[in-house]
Amino acid sequence: MKNRLRDALQSSRADYTEIRLERSVTSAVTFRGARLEGATVSTDVGGFVRCLNRGCGWGMASFTAIDDLRAMVARAHELSLAVRLDAPIRLAEVPIHEADVDLPLGGDVRGIPLDVKKRHLESLNTLMLERDRRIVDTQSAYRDEVVEYWYANSEGTLLSELRPEVTLSAVAVARDQGTIERALESLGRRSGWDAVQGREDQFLAAADRAVALLAAPRVRGGTYPVVLDSKLAGVFVHEAFGHLSEADTGYETPQARERMTLGRRVGGPDLTIGDDGSAAALRGTLPFDDEGTPTRNTVLVQNGVLVGRLHSRETAARMGEAATGNARALSFRHPPIVRMTNTYIANGQGTREDLLRGIPLGIYACDAQGGQACLEDFSFTAGHGYMIRDGQLAELVKDVVIAGNLTSSPSW
Amino acid sequence: MQRLLEQASRRAEEADATVKSDETVTLLVESGQLTRTAWSQERGTSLRVRSAGRIGVAGSTAADTAALIEAALSSAALGDEVDLLLPAPAPLPPVRTHSPAAEVASVADLAALGQGLLERLGREGLQVNVTVERSAGSVRVANTRGVEATYDVTAVTLAAEVTRVAGDGILTVGDHYAGADLPGEPAVSALAESIMRRVRWAERSATPPRGELPVLFTPAGTAALFLPIRQACLGKAVLRGVSPFGGRLGEQAFDASLTVTDDPWIPGATGSRAIDDEGVATRRLALVRGGVISGFIYDLETAALAAVPATGHARRHTFGKPQASYSNLVVTPGRSTWEDLVGGITDGLVVDELIGVGQGNVIGGAFAHPVALAYRVVNGEITGRVKDAAVTGNAYELLSRIGGLGRDLERRGSLAVPPILLEGVSVAPR
Repeated sequence: MKNRLRDALQSSRADYTEIRLERSVTSAVTFRGARLEGATVSTDVGGFVRCLNRGCGWGMASFTAIDDLRAMVARAHELSLAVRLDAPIRLAEVPIHEADVDLPLGGDVRGIPLDVKKRHLESLNTLMLERDRRIVDTQSAYRDEVVEYWYANSEGTLLSELRPEVTLSAVAVARDQGTIERALESLGRRSGWDAVQGREDQFLAAADRAVALLAAPRVRGGTYPVVLDSKLAGVFVHEAFGHLSEADTGYETPQARERMTLGRRVGGPDLTIGDDGSAAALRGTLPFDDEGTPTRNTVLVQNGVLVGRLHSRETAARMGEAATGNARALSFRHPPIVRMTNTYIANGQGTREDLLRGIPLGIYACDAQGGQACLEDFSFTAGHGYMIRDGQLAELVKDVVIAGNLTSSPSW
Repeated sequence: MQRLLEQASRRAEEADATVKSDETVTLLVESGQLTRTAWSQERGTSLRVRSAGRIGVAGSTAADTAALIEAALSSAALGDEVDLLLPAPAPLPPVRTHSPAAEVASVADLAALGQGLLERLGREGLQVNVTVERSAGSVRVANTRGVEATYDVTAVTLAAEVTRVAGDGILTVGDHYAGADLPGEPAVSALAESIMRRVRWAERSATPPRGELPVLFTPAGTAALFLPIRQACLGKAVLRGVSPFGGRLGEQAFDASLTVTDDPWIPGATGSRAIDDEGVATRRLALVRGGVISGFIYDLETAALAAVPATGHARRHTFGKPQASYSNLVVTPGRSTWEDLVGGITDGLVVDELIGVGQGNVIGGAFAHPVALAYRVVNGEITGRVKDAAVTGNAYELLSRIGGLGRDLERRGSLAVPPILLEGVSVAPR
């Protein structure tokens, strides 16, 4: 495969050329209630070529016919020549890498038969169905994937990788007369079969919470101090802050650029936010991004002050900064764009109890069911919540929706 | 493909497959220059087998047929027992899905098409983006009972988005052409005019009215009205018991002027085809005729479970099971001109685009949407754009007393709808 990549690159007449190839095998099993909805194995093979010429724009070609890479390179080159841009595209310098990186497979899913995967999910699903007579429906899903991946560019970078991924999700639906409640648990890892073992507690937790929510009161609308659990805080920082740190769409308008000026204070001294594509075995973990740039830990907010942002080679060059390894493509059907990897809020000083202690009346919001941020305004739906009374967790409440404005919310 | 089915039939009782391939060129034209280009090619095979009475499916973009058959058989080993009968060959209607001129158009031809639209829309103070997309490919459908069909497909999309930044806010208006053919001069003119008319209507702003008012939905604005009917007429929804139309075939549920037909035979329309992706010949099907609920759409598996005939509506992608979906939905036009419809409104609203259509419990029929593009009508005249307003109602109830149906059908891709005037829609400022 590497020889074919080298050969295709040598045939290119473009100033810059890059090629990605992928071969992925995916297994998916889904249950709805006690019924198996589907169990399938799919194979997806394809590639993506980008060419760039001086004074011109990107020419891009994606394809499933991987046998004639030279023809795909020629096509991308021609398309690049057709594009004229006023502001030329430049690419930030990145060291040349030649590497074979097989991420730990965590129990190679390719060796596990489909019916074993089905039985594993079925037993987890049955735990939910048999937990309580008020559990009337469930949705359980298992999905795994191993991607054989190759990347090469005309600067000399040549990579081969093995990228595993596994996800497991549980939805429990409980009903008591006219009241219906749902609870969700999910898991995603860059790992394999080992990562989905011992997950019985999560499935039981989904069932128990759906049942508990039946009797839980709705939260009373109002303005409260809110403490987020780590799942909701993760979704919150991803949607409401992370996307603004992406140096492509997050920097399109003058207002956006102004808001994200480095050095600006965006939170209290306890707040540190970063994005780390090199962390071990998390969902967004990769050795290199889809432009061949090594991933790394990029600090975005240090002690409340904006200090960094996420880049592709193109956005980095435009802003005179270094590429951060955040050019990511959904698959060979898509060009790489600037996207987060594993975004985190670093630990602070105290415990959860310390956070709650000073709050006479507030809400501890848990789990994200959905969330949306439009510039600085945000709205997030929690899976459930607890009232905070006199500094302590009190009763379970439901229908918790948090809305506000990023800069006027002092809770950061 | 015959070889694939032949190999599969040695290991299974029955099998069917589709092979879809296409090549797509996408161009973005901004302020007179081609600023983005992409080309994509895709070929995928979807195989279904019945083995020991159980159904299995598998998909692949790789050329390895042996692996695909193994994957389908492993899926079938776990699959449901369904009494699914694959169709035998049947005569097919002649349906045009392909345009040789669209297939051979060069990147330069397509860029010129985009440039032509851009020039018509260029005005001081307007930012215009034009996208041109052309795909050309083929579909092959076959099964072990002798069905074997191949047809070529082209699809052209010409879309424009116009943005005007004025003192008090941003106006974005978009519209598109879609079909198998390259749009001719009249279609490009009509597209440009449809966009510029909205920009003109929005030049002034108007205060939102309040109350139960007549609301005229433009063809583009009717999405929120017909989405509930589209979901309720899915055979799968009826089978699951979640469709409000279940058990009501033959019932007068809507205004007698309402007829909604699924028409897969419109020459060159986006959803047209003679045979569906499970090898069933397509046909015209009325979902609502004269206000009476009259048909639901089915794929083979859903039809087998519901014990009704399949309707020729299956769509199938490389990955996943075949599913029923609509071809081209046509709402039969009425007699009123646009001027008649607007002229008859003393105080009301023209709704052109709503925000959040498709969210929430669509099949229930209730909707509540902020307006993205709407215009106030006072004494039969459009007085300006209304922002910060929301419309609320129930699509099923509102369509049971239609105030007026336009005579001019606007065709957008796989939808053809006239303007529709509805009485008593709740409008409120927000």
